[in-house]
Amino acid sequence: MSELQRLRDAMRVTEQPSTLDLAAIMRDGRRLRQRRRIGRTGGATLAASLVAAVAVVAVGRDGPPVVEHHPRPAAVAPTPTATSESRKPVGAVVDTGIHYGAEQRVYYFVAVDVPGLPKVTIGLAGGRRLPSGALTTDYLVNDVEGTDRSAGFHEIGRDESGATPAVPTFGYFVGPAQRIVGTVDGRNVKAQLARWSEDPQVVIFWFDPAELAPGVPLDGIVARDKLDRRL
Amino acid sequence: MTAGDAEFVEFARAASARLVHAAFLMTGDHHRAEDAAQTALVRTYASWSRIREGDAYGYARSVLVNHLVDGWRRPIREYPTEDLPEQHRGDVADEVTTRRWLVAVLGALSPRERAIVVLRYYFDLAEAKVAEELGVSLGTVKSTSSRALEKLRAAGIRARETQETRP
Repeated sequence: MSELQRLRDAMRVTEQPSTLDLAAIMRDGRRLRQRRRIGRTGGATLAASLVAAVAVVAVGRDGPPVVEHHPRPAAVAPTPTATSESRKPVGAVVDTGIHYGAEQRVYYFVAVDVPGLPKVTIGLAGGRRLPSGALTTDYLVNDVEGTDRSAGFHEIGRDESGATPAVPTFGYFVGPAQRIVGTVDGRNVKAQLARWSEDPQVVIFWFDPAELAPGVPLDGIVARDKLDRRL
Repeated sequence: MTAGDAEFVEFARAASARLVHAAFLMTGDHHRAEDAAQTALVRTYASWSRIREGDAYGYARSVLVNHLVDGWRRPIREYPTEDLPEQHRGDVADEVTTRRWLVAVLGALSPRERAIVVLRYYFDLAEAKVAEELGVSLGTVKSTSSRALEKLRAAGIRARETQETRP
């Protein structure tokens, strides 16, 4: 028997019966469907509907932080902060052009210190620039394994806290990305990009909340270079 | 339960074991595989009214692959060769031996190579379909597949030698 045939056979005979919880799948699927419906009809405030998600901590808001389990390495804020605390930006603050009255949505890196992870020194914060010019940190996401400068996508911030205004889905990619496109429910959604002032290999991205409602999970995301090659 | 829900339950019961196993073959991590398959089925159910008349299995498979591809550039765990799941069917010793061999040979591949091998030889997709599913060129699938098979042959021989010398 050839190695390839042996491989085919081995992949099949080692299949195990599934123990997935169908009731939970359908419950989460209904919630996701509802969220997508709300997103399509322009609802910006998404209350407690949820599906398995990247673990995140919303900071600087009223109410308890949201922490959920996800199979991928979860992102957590190493030190959840108190209401209205802001963190000092590392490098330039990225203005998004998204306004909430007199406030503007901004993203910026902050220094983090994660126990046991010496190569994770930065996290990406979603915050607001207040009319006074001060920054407030709403949402912070960082790696919880590996290194924060490894090539590719890092943790994606998806705000499920239900707070208003919700933080548009955001994250960063390390590499020569010229275009980042997410997919959700068969639809492509183009991200807005900005290079980090401290390292041009680091590309901060976010999705316009009018195109991707905050909290709605992406089915996939790809980055492409200037020749439209997938990175 | 609506007719659509009943259809989905039937679909999920039929597809879930294969989706979980495919994710395990791609990641080498049972927990991550179950979570990925669950995520794929949640999203499939959320879109069920739109896809139920079409290729629902293909949709679930695409969501699963996309979900896992998103983690390609992250550190990949080694295959847990000592953490064998409980066996329920057939000859237990044979299955354990086969699983060890499979773990050894797939563990020699990169995440991209593993994904291509799983799509090509577990799901039996044509090379063009694999390229489409992964968003890469046909040439990339061909060259990666060829490289993966070379590694598999080498790893298979090593794994067999290891098994033969094991007391």
